[in-house]
Amino acid sequence: MLGQTPATEIQLPSTAFEGESNRPAQSYWNESWERLRANRIGMAAGVLILILGAIALAAPLFSQFLTHYQYDRIDLLSTFQTPGHPHLLGTDDLGRDTLTRLIYGGRVTLGIAFLTVALSLTLGTTVGLVTGYYGGWIDDILMRFVDMVLSIPAIFLFILMSILFHPTPITLAMIIASVGWGGVARLVRGEVLSVKQREFMVATKSVGARDVRLIVRHLLPNVLPVLIVAASLGVGQIILIEAALDFLGLGIQPPTASWGNMLTNSESYFFHSVWLVIFPGVTIFVTVLASNLFGNAVRDAFDPRLKTH
Amino acid sequence: MAESLLEVRDLHTVFATKHGEVKAVDGVSFEINPGETLGIVGESGSGKSVTAMSVMRLQRPGKIVSGKVMFRGRDLTKVSETEMREIRGQEIAMIFQDPMTSLNPVFRTGWQVAEPVRLHHGWDKARAMSVAVSMLGKVGIPSPAARARDYPHQFSGGMRQRAMIAMGLTTTPKVLIADEPTTALDVTIQAQILDLLRHVNRDFGTATILITHNLGVVAGMCERVIVMYAGRVVESGPTVDVFAHPKHPYTWSLLRSIPRLDAERHEPLKPIDGLPPDLIELPPGCAFHPRCQFKVDRCTRDVPALKLVGETQLAACWVTQSGVEL
Repeated sequence: MLGQTPATEIQLPSTAFEGESNRPAQSYWNESWERLRANRIGMAAGVLILILGAIALAAPLFSQFLTHYQYDRIDLLSTFQTPGHPHLLGTDDLGRDTLTRLIYGGRVTLGIAFLTVALSLTLGTTVGLVTGYYGGWIDDILMRFVDMVLSIPAIFLFILMSILFHPTPITLAMIIASVGWGGVARLVRGEVLSVKQREFMVATKSVGARDVRLIVRHLLPNVLPVLIVAASLGVGQIILIEAALDFLGLGIQPPTASWGNMLTNSESYFFHSVWLVIFPGVTIFVTVLASNLFGNAVRDAFDPRLKTH
Repeated sequence: MAESLLEVRDLHTVFATKHGEVKAVDGVSFEINPGETLGIVGESGSGKSVTAMSVMRLQRPGKIVSGKVMFRGRDLTKVSETEMREIRGQEIAMIFQDPMTSLNPVFRTGWQVAEPVRLHHGWDKARAMSVAVSMLGKVGIPSPAARARDYPHQFSGGMRQRAMIAMGLTTTPKVLIADEPTTALDVTIQAQILDLLRHVNRDFGTATILITHNLGVVAGMCERVIVMYAGRVVESGPTVDVFAHPKHPYTWSLLRSIPRLDAERHEPLKPIDGLPPDLIELPPGCAFHPRCQFKVDRCTRDVPALKLVGETQLAACWVTQSGVEL
């Protein structure tokens, strides 16, 4: 009706620029990855976590070919063996092999840590995106709920839920995540509030995008850096929380091994079997330290708010 | 007379604030025909942008309280959100003021330029991408195939604005709304972008609404102009007439506040005294009267309506409507 020419048939005048540039497109992700790789300590910490994870995954192999013990095999004739032969890291009060239990405990502890991070990120991100984007009553209700959850001492909630639900690794992850998602939701919501003010959101809406697309395709990638940082810093924290619950006897119950429940009662053996404190303790310490170092490195590399250019 | 392509009739958009209702757009009417270029001028806060956003129904948190936006037989203030999405980007496209922030930093530019055709025509990635690349080339991006793979931060301000224009044009919209498209750019780039918009208008037949506070831009680009003050249209008409014989004291003052080549060398520029009015509580009568040198008693009492003061020129001023020359 308007006699328009199809867009593809028209040549508009162009302005001369200097010749073609050959520099490759540097995406935000490439740049961040380069920055992360340049951080030696952070990379070493990351690699260490990967190795620990791999060992935990391969636990049955280790028990078969290295230690030759099952993690739950009780041997009352060889309790409190000192590290050496045949028990590389000694045995506990029931004669169970410490190294085998540490390796199997890694499965539980690391598994719970990653599952918890995944759960709280998923829930927290969804809530943060929705509340931040829509605002209004949905924001009021959900965020006041978050405020409420976060203002009850977390340890109290953990103890309560551990009593109500039998803590298996999966329920324990859900218990920790049920408190942890609140912090993520707040973080994401704050980020969304700032990103949604940026003009490209209106610009995208002005080309006819629907809300779901705006949120998932445009908002989410912009809050992803913050999420990556939160995830990598969260792992260490969750290992500590889980270890504390196990230590108190509220988490994973023996004979299932976890780094935390290996420490239960070990304080009574501190003087005559110090390795029962040292090995799980050092493992937790090193893992948490590595998670935090890696988390900090990730933050330095990915957090857009720390970027200098 | 044939029906206009886009006709805004008595549009009112308000923003609810703690202190009261801000009447950002207070009874604006205008129309635009195919292939025409219309300028909307006014100072900051005069309601130009809100008018444009209201046309696109993107005025949130503002609310359109009354008025019509007729586009090809439909009232855009009434159609469903789904229909509105079909119109946005396909029939009416918009370019924003700040090209630095109007592209999503995490996606490659080509992907974003291709977004409208993917949304509206459902084209696959490859086909949409080829249109995006050819469009980037048309708006003057050198080696567009390579640059389409670049991220926005690798583009200069001028190139980003070209990319935005390319994005707007991929679906050959009937109306292009450019909201201060050159304000954030430096002068040489401004000229290039305006030149590009002029070609778009001529070659694609796209009706263009150019929102600006720069009178020079309007003079060079637009056939018709409407002048806004405090959310109302105070004067409208062919650009030549409005600039040569302004019929509203506000337009007259605006024109005297900018330098002209044909004016006496040492004549000082005359700023407009006073401040724009509070949009929550507009002064009674003509909103401009507290700053007007020509006001008469009636200006402080009754709101003047837009009336014909020349052949096609309209002004909302009691003084000029009674035949007085400024």
